[in-house]
Formats: sequence, structure tokens, C-alpha cells
Amino acid sequence: MLYISHLTKFYGSFPAVQDLNLHIPEGDLFGFVGPNGAGKTTTIRIVCGLLRASQGSVRIAGTQAGAGSREMKRLIGYVPDFFGVYDNLKVREYMEMYGSMYGMYPREIAKLTGDLLELVNLADKKDVYVDTLSRGMKQRLCVARALLHNPKLLVLDEPNSGLDPRARVEMKELLKNLHSMGKTILISSHILSELSQMCSSIGIMNGGRLVTAGKIEDILQQAAGGVQIHIQVVSGMEQAVRLMKEQAAVVVESVRENELIILHRGTDQELCRLIGDLIANQVVLTGFHREEGDLETLFLQLTGGAQ
Amino acid sequence: MKIRWNPIVKKDLKVAVRSMRLSWGLFGYEAVLAVTFLLAVQIIQSQNGVFAPVTRNLYSYLVYLFPVIAVVQVCIVGVYMPVITASSISGEKERQTFDIMLTTCMSPFSIVFGKVMSAVLRILFFVAASLPIMALSFVVGGLSWRNLFYFLAALILFSVFAGSVGILSSALCRKSVSAVLLAFGIYLVIFGGTFVPWMGRMIIDSDKMGESLLPLLFNPILFFEEFFAHMMMGESLFGTQGYRFSVRETGLVTHLLSRDSVWMFVSGGCILALSFLFMGIAAYKVNPLHAGAGRSGKKQGRNA
Ligand SMILES: Nc1ncnc2c1ncn2[C@@H]1O[C@H](COP(=O)(O)OP(=O)(O)O)[C@@H](O)[C@H]1O
Ligand SMILES: [Mg+2]
Repeated sequence: MLYISHLTKFYGSFPAVQDLNLHIPEGDLFGFVGPNGAGKTTTIRIVCGLLRASQGSVRIAGTQAGAGSREMKRLIGYVPDFFGVYDNLKVREYMEMYGSMYGMYPREIAKLTGDLLELVNLADKKDVYVDTLSRGMKQRLCVARALLHNPKLLVLDEPNSGLDPRARVEMKELLKNLHSMGKTILISSHILSELSQMCSSIGIMNGGRLVTAGKIEDILQQAAGGVQIHIQVVSGMEQAVRLMKEQAAVVVESVRENELIILHRGTDQELCRLIGDLIANQVVLTGFHREEGDLETLFLQLTGGAQ
Repeated sequence: MKIRWNPIVKKDLKVAVRSMRLSWGLFGYEAVLAVTFLLAVQIIQSQNGVFAPVTRNLYSYLVYLFPVIAVVQVCIVGVYMPVITASSISGEKERQTFDIMLTTCMSPFSIVFGKVMSAVLRILFFVAASLPIMALSFVVGGLSWRNLFYFLAALILFSVFAGSVGILSSALCRKSVSAVLLAFGIYLVIFGGTFVPWMGRMIIDSDKMGESLLPLLFNPILFFEEFFAHMMMGESLFGTQGYRFSVRETGLVTHLLSRDSVWMFVSGGCILALSFLFMGIAAYKVNPLHAGAGRSGKKQGRNA
């Protein structure tokens, strides 16, 4: 749905983003991770039409126009990393103002405002002044505002920065909620664990380059050269090891008394067939599980331990 | 068709009306006008005793109160408008709400235009509050009420101009203070610079001005001078009933413009056009996608 190709941005002669290629499919909750200064905000601002790319292009499926065009602006809802609000403006009026900036009619805005404030859990704050809201509430209000024109893509830059733990949880729930409603979401953070819990895919940025991107499992599998599978074997261990060594897609990592650890490179179906083969060959097993890879370690490796 | 308010105008006015700043501004504005009024009355009265023939009615002098108060108002508008507008864009930028606005369907021009209009309306609020004082000139001074209407139109025109100068400076400068200074610099160029061709011409050949007066069409000072000359004396600076520059002296265009109140209206049009040009440049400057757009600048208040 969002296609970024060969995106490059120079500030003077300093390359903030270099040759970034990325495709975010529809309905994805995509997380942009990278240490501070990696170029996340720069990329996001270019996507939202707030910055001119030095090279490359940004497109949203179904539109011809590129970043910054009115057509594309209608498709994007943007929540900046830092934002202030106006004094002396009520929540309802805040929503009204931004709605009218999209050319929506007051009645339409009023109805949507009700629904959206419900969604972000601010329904009872409709007539409260915006500047009296807590930081987390402001952030959620900003999300509601960004959803007002029903964009296809919601872009959030570091939505958790400056929030207390409780507000973070609320924000996470909100985003998961939106994801399950089918919104495509792009979110950035410099904290991996925040994203890995909720994102379906992530992209890791470092020094202006996209180091890797894709589904979390795929990234791990790629990095480790396969998925680590732990198989609990009761009897027939020799048989099991022999069988495994015959497989091209398997590397036997270690053999313990009751546990066989292998590295499997292949699809899940192939893995199922493999387990089936074991059982068919009189290997008795009590269980097997896929070892969750350590994304954190990988992240540190990829970003050169800078954090 | 229903007229739809520019969302920025609506928001700005709402916020302004609720803040104490407006009340204090209003207070200051009225105070200045009141002091002017009292001083003027004082002067008129003392002059009446000394210079004027005793038979002349004192009240007939009150007619001159109007231009005095009007000129003071023009000056306040000229100073106050750039101050409001110059900080308006940098204010939104500081909160990064400017970025959010730019991601909506508002074009940079409608953002800039909305900012100027909200400042104009705020000024009009002040002007409306000053109407009672001005009305005195009409009630006791015997000026035609139509003149009041013309004056308001001219003042709105001027406030659009002053606002566009402010917004242009605001788009060119990052800091509010330097934006205000730049705005007064632009004033200087327009108010003073437009006299330069004419002065140059006069040095070379004082008999033949040619079209060297034309740049003055863009000069609001001359616009108002012409306006008051017309209103108070029924004269034009460029051609009184008794005398008009000849074609030989001025060239054809100026000669045509010097007829009746043509100069005033053309000048008003020119000033309005200049205002829109300024707003257009400002819109171009704040558009992040234009090559000439200023850097978004180092962001403040970032927390890791
Ligand atoms: N306006 C700017 N002018 C010059 N350099 C900038 C500007 N904005 C960002 N940078 C630099 O570009 C790099 C990437 O910044 P940014 O995209 O904000 O990173 P992130 O959001 O990942 O922390 C940083 O090294 C930063 O110093
Ligand atoms: Mg950032």
C-alpha cells in the first residue's frame, strides 16, 4: 500500500536517509525502529509531505500523485513526535477545526468526533480545554484528530515518547485496536520492545539506512539462518539425529539427553512434514517448540550496539 | 452556497476572544484614542480663543477631530498588525501545529491568508469599539456618514496590507522578534523607497516628472493622504480643481490617474495586489515542498 523507493535525503551534505526502499502492505502495523538520529523522523516527514526528498519517491497504491499532493494528504493521518496544543480551545472545537481543514461539514465532524473520542477513550472530555489534558490524553486526542478524515494510512512518530507506563499501555491497546479494524499503521520508536509486542512487521534503521525489514519471524529466521526448533525426544534419539542429518534444510545444533535442537530453514509445512517423518520412524517425542528468537540481540547487532 | 469560514480564522478568533490579551489590547487601543481625543479637543479649544475669529462656531472645528483620530488609528493598525501576524506562523511552528496543518488539505496559501484575515478581524474588533469616539466627529462635526464607511473600507484595506507585510516577514524569519523588525524594514522600503524615482527625477529635471510618480501608487501613506484630502477638502493631491499636472509634465498615465479620485482607487487596487503578492510569497516560503522553502529548523522540546 505504501511504496517508498530509493528515498534519499541530504541535510546539506549530511545524508539523513540513504536509498531507502520499503513496501508496507495494506492492513499492516509496521514499526520503524532505530536509535536516535537513524532517520526515522526524516523518512516520516517526507512520507507526510513535510519535507522534500533529495531523491526517490513515495507513493500510495491507487494514487498517481506523490508525497505532498492533496490527494495523498487525504490518505494519510499524521501524529508528530512532538506537538503542542492551543490554549483556550476545547476538545470538540479542536476536532472541529481540523475537520474543517479537510473540508468536512460541521454535522459530519460532530458525529465522527463523538465516535472517535469514544475510540480513544476521551468521550467524557469533549468540553474540556485541550491544554488541561494530560500528555497521554493529548496524544490520544491527536490520534483521534489524525483519524478524522478516515485516512488509509496512519503515521505516528514516536507516539510513546514522554508518556508514563500506563499511558503507553493505553496507546498500545489503541493501536492494536486500530490495527484489528484494518487500518494500515506506520509507527516509529527507538525502543524495540515497544514495537515487537504489537507490530506485525518492522524495519530496522541505522545511520540513515534501512538495515532490514519484514515480518518479525522472517527477520529473525533470516538473521539466524533458520528457526531454532527444540524437540523433546523420549527414545530413538540416534534415529532422530540420523534422520535430521539427511535433511538439507536442517542443521543439527545440539543433542542432549532428551532434547534435540535443530535449525530449520524452510516453510512451516516442511517443518510439519519433518516432525511427521520422525514419528513415522519410531522416534517417540513428548513435544517440540519453536524457540522465540532474541530480537533485542539482533537489533543491537544490526545497529552496532548503539543505544 | 453557504460561506465557509477559513478554519484558522475561526480558531484564532475563538482563542483570541477567550484570552486576556485581547481585553488588554482593547484597553490600550481605546486609551490611546481617548488621550488623542482629549488632546485634540484641548488644542482646538485653545486655538479657538487665540487664532480663530470669535464668530466661528467651536463645533465646526470638531470636524477635524475625525482625521486626527483616524490617522492615529491608521498608525496603530500599521504598528499592531505586523506584530500580531509576524508571530503567528512562528507561534504555530513552535507548537508543531503548523506541520499538522500542512498535512491537512489546507493549502499553504489558505493558511497564510487565514492568518492575515484573523488578524484583520481582531483589529476590526478594536476599530468597532472605537466607533463611538469617531462618531462624535460626525454627530457634532457634521461630516457625512458615508465618509465613515469609506474610512472603514480604507482601514480594512490597509490592515490587510500591514498583515501581509507581517506574514511575509514571519515566513522569512524564524524568530518572531526579527520578523517584526523585518516587517518595519519592509515598511521603510515601501513608504520611503517609492519616493526615490520621483526625487531622482526632480533632481534631473524638476519640470518634467514623467511617470516617476507611479511607484507612489503602492505607497499607503500617499493613499491615505489622498483619501483625507478628498474627504476633508474635496481635492486631489495630483490635481485640484484649480490646477492639474499637464500631460507634458507627467506623462499620460499619471495624467489620467490624477483625474478626480481615480488615483485613490487605483492606488487601493495596487496596495491590495501587493498584499496578495506578499501573501503569495509567504505561502511559497512556508511550503516545505518548494525548493526555496526554509529548513524546518532544529526542533525543540524533543525528548529522547
Ligand atoms: N533540519 C535538520 N537539519 C540538519 N540535520 C538534521 C535536521 N533534522 C534532522 N537532522 C539530522 O538527521 C539525522 C536523522 O534525524 P531524524 O530523522 O530526526 O532521526 P530519528 O527520528 O530517527 O531520531 C540526525 O542525525 C539529525 O541530526
Ligand atoms: Mg525522531
